[in-house]
Amino acid sequence: MRSIRKIENAVLTACTFLAAALWIFPLYWAFITSIRSEERVVSDAAGIMPDEFNLSSYVDILWNSNLVNWYINSIGTALIITVTVIVSGMMCAYAISQMRFPGRRILYGVVLASFMVPSQALVVTQFILMNDMGLINTWAGIILPQLIVPVVIIVYKQFFDAVPKEMREAVVLDGGGDYTLLFKIYLPLNWGITTALAIITFIMAWNQFLWPFLAVTTEDMMTIPVGITQVKDAFGVFYARLMSVALLGAMPVAVAYLIFQKRVTQAVMISSGVKG
Amino acid sequence: MGITLNNVKKSFGPIDVIHDVSMEIPTGDFAVFVGPSGCGKSTLLRMIAGLEDTTGGTISIEGRDVTHVEPARREVAMVFQSYALYPHLTVFENMAFSLRLKKTPKARINDMVQEAARILHLEDHLKKRPSELSGGQRQRVAIGRAIVRQPKVFLFDEPLSNLDAELRVQMRLELARLHKQIGATMIYVTHDQVEAMTLADRIFVLKSGVVQQAGRPLELYDDPDNQFVGGFIGSPAMNFLAGRALGQQDGLLRIGLDAIGQELTARVTTEVAAGTGIRIGLRPEHLQPVDGGIPATVEMEEDLGGVSYLHARLSDGRPIVVEMRGRRNSLDGKAIAVGAAPEDVLVFAENGRRLR
Repeated sequence: MRSIRKIENAVLTACTFLAAALWIFPLYWAFITSIRSEERVVSDAAGIMPDEFNLSSYVDILWNSNLVNWYINSIGTALIITVTVIVSGMMCAYAISQMRFPGRRILYGVVLASFMVPSQALVVTQFILMNDMGLINTWAGIILPQLIVPVVIIVYKQFFDAVPKEMREAVVLDGGGDYTLLFKIYLPLNWGITTALAIITFIMAWNQFLWPFLAVTTEDMMTIPVGITQVKDAFGVFYARLMSVALLGAMPVAVAYLIFQKRVTQAVMISSGVKG
Repeated sequence: MGITLNNVKKSFGPIDVIHDVSMEIPTGDFAVFVGPSGCGKSTLLRMIAGLEDTTGGTISIEGRDVTHVEPARREVAMVFQSYALYPHLTVFENMAFSLRLKKTPKARINDMVQEAARILHLEDHLKKRPSELSGGQRQRVAIGRAIVRQPKVFLFDEPLSNLDAELRVQMRLELARLHKQIGATMIYVTHDQVEAMTLADRIFVLKSGVVQQAGRPLELYDDPDNQFVGGFIGSPAMNFLAGRALGQQDGLLRIGLDAIGQELTARVTTEVAAGTGIRIGLRPEHLQPVDGGIPATVEMEEDLGGVSYLHARLSDGRPIVVEMRGRRNSLDGKAIAVGAAPEDVLVFAENGRRLR
């Protein structure tokens, strides 16, 4: 029995290592490509092992591209999106969960319905709308369509629904209103959820490609994922520089993930319905 | 003055849950609403608190009509069954919460919380969070939160239900002590008639949204208005037997217990026609062994030391409980015969109304 279990464990461990290797290989390949010269990257001599430590692609990207602008755009838009989505989502969820008004159920139905529409299906109408409003090539143009995150409302509502009715009544008897209830009771009670949702919203906004790609046409207004597409010239793609930008672009999210690993996992589980 | 309810009604859609309830609770009284689950006692309390709208009638607190006044302006404080403490705040912050909302000066908040903590022996726990406290301590914090508001009325919604038996007895005594100490009007909701009997100055027995009887605990115990009150108040419960009036003379009613072929005499001055079907109520402690009494077979006995409860069965199979004091010999499985003095036999009409 014991030897069978040992073999099982060994097979499972081997499978895990294989899966981890498959997952990490693109990152490894991106890294060794970024520390090679462009000539080395396209030469037949470039093997699977690192054979050069050349930071020229990083230097070139930092000095000769709009990377700093892209960083500012990415950080600025992702932060604004995160704060707005969390605050508005929380308030909307509070109203749907705790307040009694005509059309409350219909409103929640609309939120649920919007969850079911893929964002890609809306890009054409969103583009026309943003263009009509003169918001193409602006932060507002990048941000506005990304503020629709129904999953935040749905998750908050679930948690607000679970707060005991007596707690709400205790606040009412203590003389508190909806503002007190939301910001002094419901929000502190759900700080963990707020942090988790904020992180996942930030990561989603940071990684967003399709909409910023459509909403921005000038290089100085691009976010990092869109900026990566600009690392080329008339002769083709600069692989080493492309990988440098990709790694630099992914760095803040990777660092954030490492710091808030537990919360991100929690957020993914909550928003995917694994755990409510 | 105190609290006055005039023809108060409450409906949830087409369902009426409180029917024309009127009552008066004098200032400083400890009133208890008692009744089985679903009788409307918590709804009535929540209506006084303002947490439920009143469908009809008026509610006044100290002479002020508060029927449509919002909860925070009624000068009432409520202690919930689940305590409803704010888990992210410390004991001090929980107790200070309402005062901070009222923008009370910090020094005053500190004084008031410290005073409440002293009354409730919570001085050493002020910096703890509710999760670090025992059930009894949490309940005391919930009471402290009510005390600091200095309300005109304290409302308790089954506050001891979540505590274990021993702690419940202890907290019951503490509540009685607190009431004596601060002397405020208190309304307490419970389904536990022992809590009602031990705490109340005045008990309101409710059933299906109607007050069945109101009065001092022993009044209700000794002189119930109907069969429901007789059966609900008292533990173990009153024994009920079906009978028939045989004849009445000099205030004594002869009752035939047809099913077991026995007779009893009750003191009843109301005229009862011979042949009328009636019910009799006998408290366990009023049944005593007598020669030629109602025969029964003891099926089980509970000996509590000073008192024993004999769970017996009559010849027609009906159960009956007999209380005995100071007995040491076992009667388990034995045949007994019991009877009661005429003044201890309570008589009820078939519709449950008491015949006095």
